[in-house]
Order: sequence, then structure tokens, then C-alpha cells
Amino acid sequence: MSQVIIAIILLGLLALAFGALLGYAAEKFKVEGDPIIDQAEALLPQTQCGQCGYPGCRPYAEAIANGEKINKCPPGGTATMEKLAELMGVDPEPLTASAETQVKKVAFIREAECIGCTKCIQACPVDAILGTGKQMHTVITDYCTGCDLCVEPCPVDCIDMIPVAETLQNWSWQLNAIPVVNISEESKC
Amino acid sequence: MLTLLEQIDKGTLWRIPGGIHPPEHKSLSNQSEIARLPLADHYLIPVPGVGENCTLAVKVGDAVTKGQALTMGEGFRHLPVHAPVSGKVIAIEERASNHASALPVLTCVIENDHQEQWTDSVHGPLSPEQVAEMDSDTIIRRIQAAGIAGLGGAAFPTHIKLKPVSDIELLIINGVECEPYISSDDRLMQEACDEIVRGIAIIHQLLNPKRIIVAIEDNKPKAIEQMEHALNRSQLPNHCARVNKIPTLYPSGGEKQLIQILTGQEVPSGAIPANLGILVQNVGTAYSIAQAVYRNMPLIERVVTLTGQNVAKPGNYWVPIGTPVEHLLEVAQFRGDTNAPVIIGGPMMGYMLPDVAAPITKGTNCVLMPSEQEVAPPSPEQPCIRCGECAQACPAQLLPQQLFWHAKAQEYDKAASYNLRDCIECGCCSYVCPSDIPLVEYYRVAKSALRQEAEEKKQAELAKQRFDSRTLRLEQEKRAREEKAKQAAERRKAQMTGSDKDAVAAAMARIKAKKAADEQSSTGSTTDKPQDKVAAAIARAKAKKAAQKGDATTATETAEQQTSTPRATSADNGDSATLSQKEKVAAAIARAKAKKAAQNAPESGDTSQTPAQETEANAPLSQKEKVAAAIARAKAKKAAQASASDEQVTPSESQTNIQNGARDGAKASSPETIKKAKIAAAVAKAKANKAAQASAGDEQVAPSESQTNIQNGAQDGSQDGDKTSTPEAIKKAKIAAAVAKAKAKKAAQVSASDEQAAPSESQTNIQNGAQDRAQDDGNASSPEAIKKAKIAAAVAKAKAKKAAQASASDEQVAPSESQTNNQDGALDGAQDGDKTSPPEAIKKAKIAAAVAKAKAKKLAKAQAETPNNEHKD
Repeated sequence: MSQVIIAIILLGLLALAFGALLGYAAEKFKVEGDPIIDQAEALLPQTQCGQCGYPGCRPYAEAIANGEKINKCPPGGTATMEKLAELMGVDPEPLTASAETQVKKVAFIREAECIGCTKCIQACPVDAILGTGKQMHTVITDYCTGCDLCVEPCPVDCIDMIPVAETLQNWSWQLNAIPVVNISEESKC
Repeated sequence: MLTLLEQIDKGTLWRIPGGIHPPEHKSLSNQSEIARLPLADHYLIPVPGVGENCTLAVKVGDAVTKGQALTMGEGFRHLPVHAPVSGKVIAIEERASNHASALPVLTCVIENDHQEQWTDSVHGPLSPEQVAEMDSDTIIRRIQAAGIAGLGGAAFPTHIKLKPVSDIELLIINGVECEPYISSDDRLMQEACDEIVRGIAIIHQLLNPKRIIVAIEDNKPKAIEQMEHALNRSQLPNHCARVNKIPTLYPSGGEKQLIQILTGQEVPSGAIPANLGILVQNVGTAYSIAQAVYRNMPLIERVVTLTGQNVAKPGNYWVPIGTPVEHLLEVAQFRGDTNAPVIIGGPMMGYMLPDVAAPITKGTNCVLMPSEQEVAPPSPEQPCIRCGECAQACPAQLLPQQLFWHAKAQEYDKAASYNLRDCIECGCCSYVCPSDIPLVEYYRVAKSALRQEAEEKKQAELAKQRFDSRTLRLEQEKRAREEKAKQAAERRKAQMTGSDKDAVAAAMARIKAKKAADEQSSTGSTTDKPQDKVAAAIARAKAKKAAQKGDATTATETAEQQTSTPRATSADNGDSATLSQKEKVAAAIARAKAKKAAQNAPESGDTSQTPAQETEANAPLSQKEKVAAAIARAKAKKAAQASASDEQVTPSESQTNIQNGARDGAKASSPETIKKAKIAAAVAKAKANKAAQASAGDEQVAPSESQTNIQNGAQDGSQDGDKTSTPEAIKKAKIAAAVAKAKAKKAAQVSASDEQAAPSESQTNIQNGAQDRAQDDGNASSPEAIKKAKIAAAVAKAKAKKAAQASASDEQVAPSESQTNNQDGALDGAQDGDKTSPPEAIKKAKIAAAVAKAKAKKLAKAQAETPNNEHKD
């Protein structure tokens, strides 16, 4: 009988000791926030466009951390989706958006038609539109994420989304090889 | 163990891994001297930096001279471009670029006038001594102004390279030219070795390296010989400079490979040779440096190899930078059809030019026009057999098959993990590939994809930063707004509670009044009395509501009701015989009432006054009076506002004011009401202001409006009178004086503009004056009020003046005005009488008399005909 009591007391003490240890560790090494959210957010393109149905990239990252589908980010494209799939340990899924929505675009204000209502300025999530009341507005192209949010509020429909022009800086090589044929020099020259 | 420099002195060479020996085909072009071709009619100078770090120095239509700078920039990174010929700028527009994409870039189009007129800054060659005296900054400035870029192909600005952050121990002059077909450096070294050595000497002067190596492949024996002779002829220090003959191997001419061959050191990934204390310059660049420093000659032409079997006159030519490639094809007698390839650079690292309208740039060392025998159409790509040939050929020791594997699968980050960025795109792997896989193309695609990804990452970071700061800003704004709203709400609340208190107090006052009425009824007053009181209270409430509504008719009704009340009270007064201490108070009330009564009914005024005193005296006016006064004030304000708008319609409304005033007077009559009186004075001020404003606009329309002023004045007067009756009222009197002043001013302004239109306006002034007088009298009656009296006198003076001015113009028109004065006088008299009745008021009376005198004088001046002694009575 005494053996049983000793065993119970011993186990109880052990349980208490480990409980205290775990409790201390939980406090000491507490992780602030969910790092997976930050990681997911880092992968998202930060256009803040809301095409995923969330009011920004951070909320979508939080939703992904809570089990939301990873294929709802058209600006990020397939590459982002795949990275998210890898991060979350789920299978890649085809994007919900079609291909043409993934072309990088920037907003352009037809300035002659702008009435200076500032509605687009209020809509822009990254403060990329310059202007003030009753003054013409214009888009700072370098800051525009192409999120499309300014098009809807415009009362005179003077905002176009135009694809980003290809320049020498952002031009991508295509597979156009320059083949070299190994001809014998003496035969030709 | 020998040091590096000793090994260099010994001529030790190291091996690079990999490398290939492609057919050279150099004899096509290196057999003839560098020649000149006929000049083109148009030259195309790309100005891509415009808008980034420089501005255009010319505009369309400008005449330019040969060597004139086309761009201006302040920054150190700015590299100017120059007109290669004299002529005219005919366009600055987007033209096809000399790039694998041929994307249009901003280009300055110069029409050649074939005059070859040099710009002024170019001069004859300086002597080496003069150059030796130049300081580094001058040399660097000259090099920058000449627009010299690396002529080996990369076209990196030379002046930046010549200002390294670390000490340069070893200067390597790159004359290797390992790529097949190209022989421009070879010919330049043969023909202009002395000029090149002069350029080397300038670099030596700038950087003072310990050793200078001119590296030349052993397939260029003539160039080696010439360069050695030139170095021997030069004034460079002994054993400092040497020519190193290196074995022919592609790609020995690559900067990193050359360094490895000559020093055995590897340039770390992501680093530049300057980190190792090594600087590599092309021979062509050295030549241009000499030209720039000795003659201030900008870089406007370079040696270009035109070669390939599709050209009839292969060879090396001095080609002005900006010459369209199609012009070169024409003058060199290009034999190919439009589909025949034109390659810029060599066959290994060059690119196919999609548009032959593109110009020659500073980095273009070769235009290769191969025939179909030389360059076959791309053979179909076979699967990679993992033979490993490419890995052996790679000079950068990468794993090309792994890179290809990931690049093809578009797993670019994995390719990056295999050091894709260290690939120099030399093409060795493609060359050796048995499966004809265009490996370099895959790498280029992968590299640009990675570059784009990095760019997007940067953009995303920027967007996030901007989004976060915007969110923060919006939050701050929201918080600030909320804070403001909260404060406003608090303020409102504070005000609300005040008015609530008023309401409660009003209710209490009503109850007390009722009780007082009961008391009165017990003392034997007539039964009408309590009813009257209640009726008065009801009337007050109604008046309030009516005033708020601004309903003209209601106001009139209430006014009528109220009018009846004092009349009834006056009737009751006669019954109450006991004149207690309240007499003082009553006197003040009586004054006010008398005023009003006088205005209302000048005839009955005197008779009604005396009984009225007693009536009101009966009511024990304690703290309730305070409350009542506040209510009255509020009512008066509203009534004033209402009347201001309604006066034009119904003249009877003005009566409301009168009665309000009467109420005020009654309230003020209690001895404790000093503070309230102050407040009342302020209220009165506000009322007067409003009335004055209202009347200003309305006077011309309705003469009855002036009554408003009068009545307001009456109220004020009565209040003032009350104050003065209490000995502590000195301060209030001051305030009242100020108020009076303000009123007078406004009235004067109003009257000044209105006098000619409406004769009745002058009455307003006069009556204002009368009110003021009443106030003044009251002030003076308190013993301590002497000073104030003075002030009041001054005020009165001003007012009187104005009144005089007003009346002066009005007298001739309306004789009825004098009546008004009389009435005022009557009011004043009543007040004065009241004041004097208490035994302490004798002194005040004296002072008042003095004031009155002063006023009278002024009035007398104004109204010469009207006798002013009325004031005294």
C-alpha cells in the first residue's frame, strides 16, 4: 500500500515539476505573433488590391495561416501560389484568376478629363496618386502596384489600366539562340 | 615562396578552368589597316540617361558641331554623349536600340552636313610634360567630359572605374581579344601603340599601380611586338610595365578570367576586381583616354570590326559612334538578304540585331555578318544526356547542366542557388554541348526572370512600406478626429448641463413664485394676483417657445399677454401698503418699467410707475430671482433674434422685448443679483448687437424697427439702474459702460448710413443715447463709481456726438424726433428719481448731475433749437 502511495506522490511531484518547467518555458520562449503569417505576407506581392477578397495582403496572409486557399492572389501569379503551397505544406492549385489579369499594369489618369474629385486618391492603398481637390491628379507610376482600386471610384472614368511598357531594363530574354557551327577554318577562308 | 609581384615579374601565368578553342576567323579582318568609311547622312545617338541623371543640351533644330556634348548632367555617374559629326539635330525621338530586343529608346538624330566642323574645346595635342602637370581631378574631369566608357563591350563609365575606393596595385591592360572574328584591338595595338601607351601612362599617373601588365594573346604576335616597343619607348618606370603573352584560349579576355590567368586570384562572387587591388582596362579605352586628356577629344568614334562572309569588304574601320548599322552594311557591301543574321559582338557572346537601323554604340566592337555556312540555322535541341562536357568547359566552374535543368523547369531560385549569377554567358557550354542545347539562352532567360523577381520584391517592399505608412497616417487622422469629437462633445455636455440647470432652476423659480403669490394672496392682495403670476410664468414659457419657433404671431400673442401682466400688477400695487427694504429693488424695477411704459404710453408712464414699485416689492426675490434672471436673459436673447427678423412684419413684437426687459428689471432688483446683473449686462450687449445689426439692415424698410433698439436700450438701462442701486455694482457698471459704448458705436454706424433714407433712425440714436445716459446716471449714483462715471462721461460724449450728427441731419426732416428726446428724458428722470430716493444716493446724484451736464452740453450743441434741460428733470 505504501508503495502505491509513494508512487503516486512521486509521480505527482514529477508532474508538478514538469508542469512548472513547461509553464516557465511557455512564458520564457513565447513567440510574439505567428511567424507563418509574416512569411506568407513576405511572399505576397503587396499590391493591396483586395482581389483575394481580403482588404490587403496582410489579412490574406493571416487567412492563409488559418487555412484559406492559397490560389487567390492573381497579381502574385503561379510563382507566388507555388511558394505559398510550399510554405503551407499544401498542394499547389490552379489560380482562380485568368492569365490576362496577371499582366502587370499601372493606372493612368487621362489628365484632361480629371475633375479633381480626389476619390481615386482616397482609394489608392499606396498613396501613388498625386493631386488635390479641384486640381488635376496624376499617378506616380513607380509607386503604382496596379491594384485597380482607383478605377471604380472615378466619377468620370478617366483612369485606364495600361500594361507596363517594356524597356531595356525589364526586357526578358527569349530563346533566340545564335548557333555557332564548327566549320573548319581552312575550308572557308 | 615568391610574392605575387615577383611572380608577375617572372611572367608566371596561371590556368583557368575550362575554356574552349573555337575557330578564330580573325584573318578575315586583321589583314588590312584600320580604314575609314564614307560618312552616313544621319547619326543616331541614344540618350537613355535623359530624365534619370542628365538633361538634353540640345533641342530639335539646333546646329551641332563635331564633338559637341548632347547631354548635360551634374552627377558623377553621368556619362555625356557627343555629336559624332557636325550638322543639325533633326529629331529627338524613340528609335530602335542596339540591343537584343531592339526596343526603342530616346535617340538624338543628327543630320550630317559633311562640314566636319570640330567643336572649339578640342585642341592640338599637349606635351607629355603638360599632362604630367595635370592633377587627378582635371584628368578625371576630362575623361568624364569625353564620355569615355569601357570599349571592351560592357561600356561601363571609365571615370568611375578610375576613381576606385581601394588602392590599385595592378593595372591590367586587356588586349586579349579572345572572341573569334574580332580583330579591332589587335589592329589598334599595331597601329596606335604609342597612343595606347600614353593612355596607360595617364592611368599610371592617376592610380600609381605597382605593376602594369599588357595582356595579349599569343595569336597576335605583331601586336605584342608593337606594344613591347611602345612600352620601351615610353617614360613609364622600368620594370613597372610589361607585356604578357598569354595562351590563346576562349574566354581568356573575360575580366575575371584574365585576372585569374595573370595573378592566380579569383574575383569573389559579387565582388569587383578593385576589391583585389586590380584594375582592368581595354586597350581601346586607354587609347581614348589619351585622346581625351591630350586633345580634349570626346569619344565619338571607335574601331569596329566588320567581318563575316556576308560582307564584301571585311576589315577594321574607324566608325563614328551613332552610325546606323544599315549604313555600315551598305558601305561594306553586305551581301546577305534581309533575313541574313547581323550579329553585334562576336559569335560567342554577341547577339543578333533584330533591326539594322540601330546605331553603333560605344560598346560595339564588331558587326558580324556570317553566311549560312558559318552560322547554320539552329539545329533542333536534343535532350540533355548529362555528359558533363559543359561542366568541363565552364570557365566559372559552374554546373551548367544543373543550371539548365532548373532554368528549363523555371525553378529560377534553385538555379540561383547554383550560382547562376556568376555565369559570364561566355557560351562555352553551348559550344561544347553535343545535344545542341542553347544553354546560354536558358541562362539569360533565367537571369532576367531572377532580375525581374528581385525587382518585384523591391516593389513589393516599397508598396508595403507605403501601405503601412498610409494605414498609420489614416489611423492617426482618425484618432485625431475622434479626439476632437470627444472634446467637442464634452464641451457640449458642459453647456447642456448648464442649460439643464437653468431649466430646473426655472421650474423651481416658478414653484417659488407660486408660493410667493400664495403669500401675497394671504396678505390680502386681490385674488387676481396669483393668477397673474402663474399667467406670467406661462406667458414666459410660451414666449420662449414662440421665440424659438420664430413664429411672429405667437410672439405677438405672448407679448400681448405679457403686457397685460404688468398692468394687472400695477393695479394690485395700490393695495399693498407696506413698503419694506425692498423699496430699493422696487425702485429699480419701477425704473425699467417706467422706461418701457414711457415708450409704450408716454402719457400714462408717470402714474403707473409708483404703484408698480410696490407690487414687485411684495415678491420675496431671493435665489430664485437669479434663476429667473437667467431665464429672462435667454428669453430676451431669443426674442431679440426673433424680433430682429420679424420686426418688419409686426411692430407689436417689439413689445415682447419691452416686457422681457421689464422682467429683467424685476429680477435684478434683488440685492443679491449683482452677478446676475453682470451677466444680464453681457446678454444685453449681445442683444443690442443683434438688434443693431438687424436694424441696420431693416431700418430703411420699417421705421418701427428702431423701437427694438429703444427697447433693448430700455432693458439695459433698467439693468444698469439695478446694478447701481447695489453698492457693489461698480464693476458691472464698467461693463455696462463698455456695452453702451459698443452699442453706441454700432448704432452710429447704422445711423450714419441710414440717416438720409429714414428719419426715424435718428430716433434710435437718440434713444440709445438716452439709455446710455440712464446707465451713466446709475453708475454715478454708487459712491465708488466716480472713475466709472468719468469713463461713462467719455462714452456719453462720443455717443452724444454721434447722436448729434444723426439728429443734425434729421431735425430738418422730422420734428417729431424731439418728442423722442422728451420721452427719454422722462425715462431718465424716473430712474434718477429712484436712485436719489435712498438716503445714500445723494452723492451719486451730484455726480450724475455733472455727467448729465456734460451730456446736455453736447446735445445742446447738436440740437441747437431743442432745449436739453429735459435730462435734468
